[in-house]
Amino acid sequence: MLAEPRRSQAFLVAWAASIFAVSALADPRALSVATLAALLLFRRGALREARRVLVGVAPFALGLSAASWGWLAVRGEAPPVSPFAALTLRTVLIAFVTFSVLRRVELLRALAPFPTLSRLLVLSLAQVHALRLLATESALGLRSRLPRRPRTRDVLRSSGAITVALLTLSARNARDVGDAMRSRGFH
Amino acid sequence: MHVPDGFLSPQITVPAWIAAAPLWTWAARRNFGASSTESLPVVGSLTALAFVVQGIMIPVPGGTSAHLTGMAILAILYNPGVAFVCESLVLLLQALFSGAGGFTVLGVNALAMGLLGPGAAWLAWRALRGLSGRVAAFAAAYAGMQVATGAVALVLGLQHRLSPAYMPVPLEVTAVATMVPSLTVLGVVEGLYTVATLALLRRARLLDAR
Repeated sequence: MLAEPRRSQAFLVAWAASIFAVSALADPRALSVATLAALLLFRRGALREARRVLVGVAPFALGLSAASWGWLAVRGEAPPVSPFAALTLRTVLIAFVTFSVLRRVELLRALAPFPTLSRLLVLSLAQVHALRLLATESALGLRSRLPRRPRTRDVLRSSGAITVALLTLSARNARDVGDAMRSRGFH
Repeated sequence: MHVPDGFLSPQITVPAWIAAAPLWTWAARRNFGASSTESLPVVGSLTALAFVVQGIMIPVPGGTSAHLTGMAILAILYNPGVAFVCESLVLLLQALFSGAGGFTVLGVNALAMGLLGPGAAWLAWRALRGLSGRVAAFAAAYAGMQVATGAVALVLGLQHRLSPAYMPVPLEVTAVATMVPSLTVLGVVEGLYTVATLALLRRARLLDAR
């Protein structure tokens, strides 16, 4: 058994190889077998990851495939369904494997040999998190100032001021995170 | 205009990774070294904002989606290398945490949306900035959007040419489905987003920290 961060690094390398291999499959039967294998391999927590894929990825992939199939059908080409099914299945399977693997690795520790990437990743994640918090707070603030539910016009009218506050706070946050990382030896 | 995982085979994704990897290293070392301390806050804010605006995606026929990129502004304020690194980070975060785009297609998406699009925006900005700042910013963002969308459509068309069984949608469908929304709506909205964000950055006095 490998120790961390070697274990996570080995996991990430295996994950990258496996998703590239899955992306080479075009036969729906081979993809079905690969899906079963993935479900067996990642059976612990499979339900949670499957739900995440079904909510976050499958509708989009299905929408893309259906829209493409529909477009071709309207042009009178009556395309077979199986290549579109394979497209969707590939996308869903890769997402499932990705989510399952990421739950099992310590990403930032695995990326420790790449300090620039780690620093940028931490900064971006912190920014996205801060931005989400600010957006939620701003939405709540807007709602509390109005006697009714905010309409699109209200949101648009307040968006300029919110974005300025958002950018200012976000910049301050990035400066703090950058300083903290530099003081801990990230250059 | 993300291409999701599974829509492009390794015949395309592996060469794209091979082309993108040295460019990532070069751009990150050049733009995000120890001397980048002052610019990091603004770059970080714009990257986070781009992450948000790219999260609103509408699927279009042919294997991609319609959305803003928010990258032209980084190319205008800094250079296409900064936009390339930031867009790659946005794409990586989306691939890992929300399942949008993907890891196998990261090279393709990053080259199209992070390098070619912002590169075109930067060139347009440099050519037009003498006329008017706002017009140049709008035109740059519009041009960047069209180049990025065109590149994604071409790659999807190439995949169909390589293997119709793998990607059943031909280039003529992908090109129309992606370029029409891009030329009519997305390019204009991206232009307005860029002009408005530049104005907001000035209002927040964040450009002084550049």
